[in-house]
Amino acid sequence: MRRPKRYENIDGTGEMSMGVMMLSFALVGCLSAVLPEGALWRKNGLATFEFIPVVMIPIWAFQHWGVKAIKKHFTWPRTGYVAYRRSGWPWWKVIVATLAASAVFGAATACLMVLARRFHALSLERAVYLAVLLAAYAFFVFHWSRQQAWKWLVLIFMALGLLAIALVVPGGAVESFRPVALFLGLVWLGSGAATLYS
Amino acid sequence: MNEQLRAISELDRVIHEPGRLMIVALLAVVKECDFLYLLHETEMSNGNLSSHLARLEEARYVEIEKTYRGKVPLTLLRLTRAGRAAFEDYRKALKAAFLAALSVPQAGFNEC
Repeated sequence: MRRPKRYENIDGTGEMSMGVMMLSFALVGCLSAVLPEGALWRKNGLATFEFIPVVMIPIWAFQHWGVKAIKKHFTWPRTGYVAYRRSGWPWWKVIVATLAASAVFGAATACLMVLARRFHALSLERAVYLAVLLAAYAFFVFHWSRQQAWKWLVLIFMALGLLAIALVVPGGAVESFRPVALFLGLVWLGSGAATLYS
Repeated sequence: MNEQLRAISELDRVIHEPGRLMIVALLAVVKECDFLYLLHETEMSNGNLSSHLARLEEARYVEIEKTYRGKVPLTLLRLTRAGRAAFEDYRKALKAAFLAALSVPQAGFNEC
């Protein structure tokens, strides 16, 4: 049997969730740019943080209705239904380990970006930020590549797209956030949809 | 023949059959699954899989729950506690037997 031990990204819902998340962030960026200075959304200049629940609604809705519908109508009729057993780690250990790893990784990236901005090295700041995005996606692609080798092409396309945005949009990571979030959202949504229909 | 090798003849025959072993091994690593999943994974025919599952259910190793997902009938399958214990015993017995077979002095074969 040449079947995987465990179904990984069999229906692309993971990627589509990431895509929806990035599109939500792009929407926040757009709202911040479009709305007038005095609008509640832009009060204190902390729009993204204050309205993070608003950003979370599309992500939550997709997870709650979208993923369930995809599983019910596409995945399970195709592969059959399976619920895996939990790993040996208790849930709190998994959460603590994930939070700790994210905090260390996030803090290191933030430090590098702040240093780069302080020394007006915007190209370095953007390079760090784009490298982190690419490395994070490459980690998943490496996991999926046994069953979905074509995901490496998506990674290459993503790298080229990010490079193109970096060349076209001036400034650092903050300035290029909107086009990057929009581009990544569309790429991941498309890649997830292609996985679903492949 | 040593004690551990002799244990092969006492292996659980319900699990030992290749088709059923495949089913039990698959169910041992999941919490629950449906009939279609097992059909895909084992590549058996409907009838073959059904008869093996009936045999496993009869031995109380597998729990079969007939339910509905919306209006679609759904057959959920999971290993019972007894089934899990039997599979673990089977695995240990087989492993011990293989280790015993590998530890038989090689010179003995030349002398026969």
